[in-house]
Amino acid sequence: MDQPRTDPDQELVKRTQSGDAGAFDELVIKYTPRLYGLVYNMTSNHEDTNDLLQDIFAKAYKAIRGFRGKSSFYTWIHSIAVNMTLNFLKKRGRRFQLSLDDVDASIQNDKEFLELTATSSPVREADLSELQRRLNEAMMKLSDEHRAVVTMFHIQGMPHAEISKILRVSEGTVRSRLFYANRQLQNYLDEFRKNPVS
Amino acid sequence: MDEFNDSEIARLLRLKRYEQPPPGYFENFLHEFHRRQRDELLRQPLWRICLERVHNLIAGPDARALTSYPAAVTAVLVCAAIISLKIYQQPEKARVALQSPPALSMTPLNAEGELNLASPVSMPILRTQPVRSLNQSAQTHRAAPPRYVLDSVPVSYEPTFRF
Repeated sequence: MDQPRTDPDQELVKRTQSGDAGAFDELVIKYTPRLYGLVYNMTSNHEDTNDLLQDIFAKAYKAIRGFRGKSSFYTWIHSIAVNMTLNFLKKRGRRFQLSLDDVDASIQNDKEFLELTATSSPVREADLSELQRRLNEAMMKLSDEHRAVVTMFHIQGMPHAEISKILRVSEGTVRSRLFYANRQLQNYLDEFRKNPVS
Repeated sequence: MDEFNDSEIARLLRLKRYEQPPPGYFENFLHEFHRRQRDELLRQPLWRICLERVHNLIAGPDARALTSYPAAVTAVLVCAAIISLKIYQQPEKARVALQSPPALSMTPLNAEGELNLASPVSMPILRTQPVRSLNQSAQTHRAAPPRYVLDSVPVSYEPTFRF
């Protein structure tokens, strides 16, 4: 009973392809917050994220005439974002400065946050910015490819199939990377549990 | 259970969704994007802009439509060539026969009937009187061999104009 899914951005893409720059503006507005989250969690630096995001949309605008709709615009723009970020991270190497974005105040009402602070002693003992710093450090210990998968799956909530399309790898590879990344994060955060203030 | 388990890690990571850029960032992003696009355009040399436009045109979705143009133009040219060939290859007798009757009917011939419909074009050669008007002559200007015979009448044989 599955009906073929239509790309909700198809109309905007067609208008952009026919020269309507305003249609592309709508796509930028729509995808900026989501792509910001993706790139920021891969780079852990706000300035780098901002520059990359500008470059990603500039590249997408130049390339959109060649977009044939074989995948959805969502998948296409995410592929550009991930590939450009991975290339950037390779060039940047280990020389980077961790910058923390503000945590939205609505986190205090998040059910999962309340549960975590109520049950988990390391999380409860650490203040929010410390927890944020630890998580980012743990993420930066992962390889770029593993971090990309963790970001898309755990933080952005994408299904395995979508991630495999974006990365152009099999779903098995996605699952394997996730498993390995989870083990690494677990080890790192266990150190945090043992020594919460270090 | 002292260790972080998978679900706990997953929940912790999900909290990273709350990390947000400075207030107003998303509102200003589009303006910044436009500004950078303009700056980049101004920095680019003209030849590069033209090259990009051409590349976009070729790589664009209209490229497939553009490929049909040469085929369409070729088809039109072939059709035009066939039609023109057919026009020029029409039997000459038929054309002359169609154009000549008025002249024959208007200029009575002698009783012997030396001229017949089988050789209508030879008729003016035997006569010094014009059998065709100027318009008729113009109409058959493109006609083939018999027309040349017509034109080969010496100038001195042409009737003089009388006022």
